[in-house]
Amino acid sequence: MLLLYNTLCLWGLTVRINFKLIISGVLFTLSSNAFAQFNIFTCEPEYAALAKELAPDARIYSATTAMQDPHQVQARPSLIAKMRQADLVVCAGAELEVGWLPMLQMKAANAKVRNTDLGLFFAADHVETLDKMSNVDRSMGDVHSQGNPHLHFSPPRILAIAKALTEKLIQLDSDNSRDYQQQLERFSSRWTLASAKWQETASKLSGMKVIAYHSSFRYLFDFSGIEQVADLEPKPGLPPTSGHLAGLLKQANNSDITAIVIASYQDKRGANWLAEKSNLPVIVLPLSVGGNEQSNDLFSLYDNVLSLLSQEYSAKKL
Amino acid sequence: MNNFHFFPNRLSAKVSAALAITALVPMLSQAQNSMPTLSNPNVSVILDGYYQSEDRLMTERAEGFGLGETELALSANIDDMFYGKFTSVFESHDGESEVHLEEAFIQTMALPNGFTVRGGRFLSDIGYLNNQHSHTDSFTSRPSAYRAFLGGHYFDDGLRVSYIAPTDTYWLMGAEVFSGDSLRAADEHGERDFDSTGVYTAFTKIGGDIGVESSWQLGFSYLRNENGQLTAEDHDEDEHEEEEHAEDEHDHAHSASYTGKNTYAADFVFKWAPNGNYKYQHLTLSAEYFRVSDFMLPELHDEHEEEHEHEEEHHDEGHAKDYHEAWYVSGVYQFSPNWSAGLRYGELDSQLQHEEHFDQQELKETELSLAWHNSHFSTVRLEFSHQSNVGFEQAENDNVITLQYVMSLGAHGAHQF
Repeated sequence: MLLLYNTLCLWGLTVRINFKLIISGVLFTLSSNAFAQFNIFTCEPEYAALAKELAPDARIYSATTAMQDPHQVQARPSLIAKMRQADLVVCAGAELEVGWLPMLQMKAANAKVRNTDLGLFFAADHVETLDKMSNVDRSMGDVHSQGNPHLHFSPPRILAIAKALTEKLIQLDSDNSRDYQQQLERFSSRWTLASAKWQETASKLSGMKVIAYHSSFRYLFDFSGIEQVADLEPKPGLPPTSGHLAGLLKQANNSDITAIVIASYQDKRGANWLAEKSNLPVIVLPLSVGGNEQSNDLFSLYDNVLSLLSQEYSAKKL
Repeated sequence: MNNFHFFPNRLSAKVSAALAITALVPMLSQAQNSMPTLSNPNVSVILDGYYQSEDRLMTERAEGFGLGETELALSANIDDMFYGKFTSVFESHDGESEVHLEEAFIQTMALPNGFTVRGGRFLSDIGYLNNQHSHTDSFTSRPSAYRAFLGGHYFDDGLRVSYIAPTDTYWLMGAEVFSGDSLRAADEHGERDFDSTGVYTAFTKIGGDIGVESSWQLGFSYLRNENGQLTAEDHDEDEHEEEEHAEDEHDHAHSASYTGKNTYAADFVFKWAPNGNYKYQHLTLSAEYFRVSDFMLPELHDEHEEEHEHEEEHHDEGHAKDYHEAWYVSGVYQFSPNWSAGLRYGELDSQLQHEEHFDQQELKETELSLAWHNSHFSTVRLEFSHQSNVGFEQAENDNVITLQYVMSLGAHGAHQF
């Protein structure tokens, strides 16, 4: 037994002695692997789509799909294995992933993506979030003091995030900085052009009133002037209760609400019950890229979401 | 003793608990007003209370009202290299209160090439459930395998080195060294010369996804316990009685009831959610198998063999094995965000030292639990468990009903798979 113990000790000692050697070895491998594929891990599919626009040659993996609640994700083995290999981790931030990202980071033991000085990028760090709260209490439900983290339906914010993400890519992979710069320019001009078009469509939606599920589309409603008059959730993060739905039905009957809006991952039962009783249509919007057949990238996601809302609103006005 | 036991001195436990809480109140309020950041530790409290209709074998929960693992945890990144966590646990049952330190460890966060080193007091990474905090369990008690062989869950003072391979399939390897105090074999005379570094473990886990909806993990562990073998028992009946009383107290002391030199374990977990979306419905299936062998010192083993042969000649019963084993299978389904139900079945097959020979014991348990979750942070659970046993002191069939709440306040750490 003593022998085994000694071996362990010796081994520990060797690790310490060779520590510098290992580090220089890693640095060497990194520089010699400049042509190896850059690995990007994203928490949500919208950031995988954005990364694809900005770094089309990278190997990109999204931890969640548009059919999954990004608040509740299992720190499962496959995600740990993917994060272990990541050069860059891109997440929404503002505490959206607080229930699983720290566990992944701890288990993945990847020093490169430990903090935002290195290969960790939080989109919310680079834009102004809505609904910041100074005093948060659990009795208020699942709210985030750092503001609403579902940022991706705001065209100007996406542009600001794209710029910051490009800077991060250049910081980590400076050999390809010219390519990243070019991709950003290409993306910016396309995005600006598309934004003008979306702005025009959105302006026609101004004044539309909806009942929605959670604050998933807070930025979309802000951008288009849609008013979310009620929430299917009694409190953020808590599922609809029958009492709460009954209250919503009263509200639905007494005002000019156009539709009930839910996201692709959200349970349809509460919305369907309310729709049946109140004769309101239910619009299932893709939460993100991949949330329905039409939403294949950020551009088609915006196109699709705005057209789904416009259809209902013009039908209502007729 | 490894744990800081203050029982049976109830007063001192209460005083120290009160002191600890008073000291942490400013920290708690600070944590609420500003975000937990690198310099601001996460503070979390788990409240666990229960009512249990009967005593159960080897559990930490006793008949009547009591407090389960009520824990207070502090954790933070210490700097860019180290993470630290402190967890103290308060428990109260049978009119006894105890406070012990379950975790006090540091862990590296920035070693290259997927290596992690953890030192201090922490939960061993063997098996599936052992490294999980009991407040995340879907049943009120750990399976009999854990209660019998690991004292509920095995935490100890030691060192761990682990490595995660840079592969798309998750592959973790690790080794640990512990003092092993809580896994020592019974020492009736207190004269035994135990190794101060008694436990060595090695484990590996692999895992991955099957499509978008399913995930799995498979693990193998080995634990070598230098102090796990039993010495020959004294023949004096009176002393024997005393020893049994000592063992009873062990039940609440987080020490293993059965130890051996070599422990082998295998575990498997499978999780499923529609579309991989865990918000509404999800299913968790898990199974573990433990085998503890070489529980006798060689000279005792020979005697045992002789006895065994002797017995076989004269009777057909008393066929004791030379290893302990236990296993369980469990399924838990969350059918809505507010409700989940679980079913677990487990068996323990152990050998109890009785003078010069070993008597075979068998424990079978079936548990059905139903839990209501008002939110992600509050759970009220009702559990029915049925146990039937052979060879234990309370040899009878038992139905036990437990009503339990588990709630968390403060920062809520992320759950493991």
